[in-house]
Amino acid sequence: MGGNAANKPKLLVNGKRVDGRNVDDIRNVKIVARVLNDADGSAYIEWGKNKILAGVYGPSECIPRHDQSLYRGIIKCRYNMAPFSGAEEHGRSGPNRRSKELSKVIREAFENVIISENFPKTQIEIYVEILQSDGGTRCAAVTAAAVALADAGIPMKDMINAVAVCKIDGKMAVDPGKEEDNFGDSDMPIAYSPRTGEILLYQMDGLLTREELAEGLKLAKDASEKIRKIQIEAIQKVYEEPKEERFLLIK
Amino acid sequence: MSESKIVIPGELLSDKPERISYAFIDNGKTYSTVVGLYSEGKLVPLEGPYEPLPDDLIVGIISEVKFSGYSIDINTAYPAFLSSREIRERYNMGDTIFARITMIDEVRSTEIGDAKKLAAGRLVKVSSVKIPRIIGKKNSMIDMLQSATGCEISAGRNGYVWIAGTGNATLAEKAIRMIEAQAHTHGLTDRVSQYLKANKQ
Repeated sequence: MGGNAANKPKLLVNGKRVDGRNVDDIRNVKIVARVLNDADGSAYIEWGKNKILAGVYGPSECIPRHDQSLYRGIIKCRYNMAPFSGAEEHGRSGPNRRSKELSKVIREAFENVIISENFPKTQIEIYVEILQSDGGTRCAAVTAAAVALADAGIPMKDMINAVAVCKIDGKMAVDPGKEEDNFGDSDMPIAYSPRTGEILLYQMDGLLTREELAEGLKLAKDASEKIRKIQIEAIQKVYEEPKEERFLLIK
Repeated sequence: MSESKIVIPGELLSDKPERISYAFIDNGKTYSTVVGLYSEGKLVPLEGPYEPLPDDLIVGIISEVKFSGYSIDINTAYPAFLSSREIRERYNMGDTIFARITMIDEVRSTEIGDAKKLAAGRLVKVSSVKIPRIIGKKNSMIDMLQSATGCEISAGRNGYVWIAGTGNATLAEKAIRMIEAQAHTHGLTDRVSQYLKANKQ
């Protein structure tokens, strides 16, 4: 959506997409957990060309105090796109309309799974920095933040992940890249709780029929299972190859 | 020791509702809430914030001197309070104490007592879930660390470890970092013992 219709490329040729994937293939996903020294939990994700760093701090004393709750911990989320992160100019860094919205939807997805009743009067902060973007950053951000939260040892009912589905040239496909996002007919990011199958984040841009929607949900659910395996591997790797120092390596 | 398995949040532990710490019950089944080691109905978290309990022995830092006592940083989101009535000595900001948690309520207001000031030394901050490993079975690990390095080591349940005395504190700190990184592995005591021997001068 949002691309100029005049220079729209062909998105689907003989069932193959612009980057050679099938409609039900996700891009390559690589997650490394525990990459930051000073965060309580952290993760780095490479999802296609997306490069995202997630850090979790807390539970710590909730500041400002009027945000405190005596019944539960408060979850705060900051999604931020680096000014150099995209192919186009992103302007100045800092909160804007888009990043505020994404911070909100990511926070609300996690409010469903974090057992915050254990930590009254505190805050749990989730920071997501988009270093390089190529479509689907909010889904990659949710996936990385879930690993970072698990790494921080914050009790959760499930380790969630997210994936988008899109409609390109009249057909449903999973995990749209930047071109498919810009020139596709519809875009629908979904966060699943794999344990219960509940939907924790759901947005839609464009139009879909009921049948397309049902097909999209199924595609997303299958992709979500694949991503969950990668998340679990990332966490297990922390303990299989223990390191005294945490560090981040970006090739 | 049976083979334990690394579980992640939301992983099924049992088909029956069971009382397991760090687990929750949903729809008659038991699931993990943390990354932990699970074996035979016992779930040990591998990471997580310190959750204070009464009678925990902790290392704290005086963060504020108040009219009737002291506010103390014990590595939680909630500062603990030490009343002047509980103690006979006086503290200054930044002093380190070894103390016992006497009271904790539902909004995590914490009071401590039995405080003792610690001699000059250095503070090592580790994850609180690794402290049992640093202390070891019947103090075996910490005794070994103390005899090999000649330091006095106080390991607080809250994840603060205080290394005092005239011994090789740097070696002690390195050994504690090693224990923290490898806390979930088998045969750790032997490896630490070898490490201490190899690096002792």
